Amino acid sequence: MRALAANIEEVFREAAARWTLVAYFALSSLFILIFAVAVNLDVVNGALAGAKIFGQNVQMGRQSVDLDKLVLGFESGFAGFLYVVGTFLAIFATAHLVPRLMEKGTVDLYLSRPVGRVPLLLSRYVGGMLLSASNVIYLLGAMWLLVIWKTHLVHPRFFLAAGIILFGIAALMAFAFLIGTLTSSTAVSIMATFAVFFISAILANHDRIAAAMTAEWAATLVQGLYWVFPKTAQLGAAVVALVMGDEGPRRMRDALTLQPFVTTGLFGAVCLSLACLRFRRKDF
Amino acid sequence: MTAAIEVRGLQKFYREGLGGREVRALAGIDFAVQPGELFGLLGPNGAGKTTTVKILLGLTHATSGEASLLGLPARDPESRRRVGYLPEGHRFPGYLTARQTLSVFGRMSGVAPAELRSRIPALLHSVKLSEWMDVKVKKFSKGMTQRLGLAAALVHEPEVLLLDEPTDGVDPVGRREIRDLLKAEAAKGRAILLNSHLLSEIELTCDRVAVLRNGRVAAMGTIDELTKREEKSSSKGYRLVAAPLTEELIAEFRRKGASPECVNGHLRVLARDAEHLNELIDSARARGVLLTELTPEKNTLEDVFVDLVKATPEQVS
Repeated sequence: MRALAANIEEVFREAAARWTLVAYFALSSLFILIFAVAVNLDVVNGALAGAKIFGQNVQMGRQSVDLDKLVLGFESGFAGFLYVVGTFLAIFATAHLVPRLMEKGTVDLYLSRPVGRVPLLLSRYVGGMLLSASNVIYLLGAMWLLVIWKTHLVHPRFFLAAGIILFGIAALMAFAFLIGTLTSSTAVSIMATFAVFFISAILANHDRIAAAMTAEWAATLVQGLYWVFPKTAQLGAAVVALVMGDEGPRRMRDALTLQPFVTTGLFGAVCLSLACLRFRRKDF
Repeated sequence: MTAAIEVRGLQKFYREGLGGREVRALAGIDFAVQPGELFGLLGPNGAGKTTTVKILLGLTHATSGEASLLGLPARDPESRRRVGYLPEGHRFPGYLTARQTLSVFGRMSGVAPAELRSRIPALLHSVKLSEWMDVKVKKFSKGMTQRLGLAAALVHEPEVLLLDEPTDGVDPVGRREIRDLLKAEAAKGRAILLNSHLLSEIELTCDRVAVLRNGRVAAMGTIDELTKREEKSSSKGYRLVAAPLTEELIAEFRRKGASPECVNGHLRVLARDAEHLNELIDSARARGVLLTELTPEKNTLEDVFVDLVKATPEQVS
């Protein structure tokens, strides 16, 4: 346990030494700061009577705006945005974890310690997830608190969206780990994972794509890929639907079904298992 | 007594690429290292030295045979709890300081943080890195990194040390310090397996040596056993330093059957026995030659190594 904790700690130390992570936290902080300073809302009896952005009055029209709906709209939009950006940044910040571990001269130092290969890889995965979680929770949590401070509206679902975002990151990070164990390349891991993210999003329209295919096998392939790949688009929709709750349109609420979670979870579990298997058997 | 390191019938075959030809790295080697012993593993490139060490550490899986550390099979991670390893060309994370490096790897070996706090300064002192304790490793020279590697191998006070080129990049003074350190560690009862290309280092440090060639143990024994000149003829060689080395003296020696050879300002002569040797000395003295040194010839480890490497497989067996 002590060995694994040391390994997780080392993931954080390494992340701190990398400028990508520093830049991410700096950008996140800047974004939070701008929102905190620049947006001023005039709330009267639970409705938005006026708003100022960077000191400029925003035209509100004659009628006051329903603040709850406005805030929910902002929160769901922001959570959806963070799902994409947070996932990309998490993969970018952690894809090196396996290739760097497997570098000649480095892997010997780790594997010569009394730690099994699978626990070693999994501790890196846990370290990567904790790192990603700290990023997502920092940005989402800070924005949540700011919204509460500015509007006095508390929407816990906005903060809970971090769970779905991290679930998506967990599945994709498992895939990045698998590619890392197969190729020992950070660049290939990042590119392949981003490719899976986009292809999965396209495959959300699998029925329409399959219908457009002239060959039967091609249509079957599209349907098969849809079931194999993680459901990145559906998870994004689920993030928005979770934040909107009953306020969202019915079509959006339907996005919160179990299927994308089960198949994405399976995808992640299989990828991580294969990564462990490959790492365990590899000769260094 | 359980051997600290033991390999039996160890074989390793690699396949070159997918469906490629099979390459034999180890063809069944056997040796054992006892506690307190300094054992050297020698061999030309590709002889199987690194593969052997990697199998012992579980970095590579053996095709067949057995490898164990302190009685535990090498594939069991627990076998590495009491083993320190210094790999060749190791790369510690550059963002860590020397102290942090030892802390990370010490904890990975199961040492309590409180214990490490007191152990690390003493360890860094012993490898002459006290003043660099809080400097990032990326600023270290090759020799300093090597010393840190040695400290990292010792941080959990292991019973077995596997060292791959430990003096690589270290200056002569540092080499001697490392040699002394290794001898001191062996004196504490630690078994040390030294893998090095520097034959002189092995010769000065190790109690026993195994020479690998084409994945087999070509020779094994103490340095004395290996360097003892094989008696190919009844004559024995001597190195004679004397002055003046005149043509007449050389001709006289030749007449007496000593087959003299001038080598770097001294004479190499062959004597059948002590009587013959004294006869040669007497004739030299009779000619007014002043003798300053007379040494029986002995093979160096390098001679043995080169002979073994150049020998045909039949000659080796």
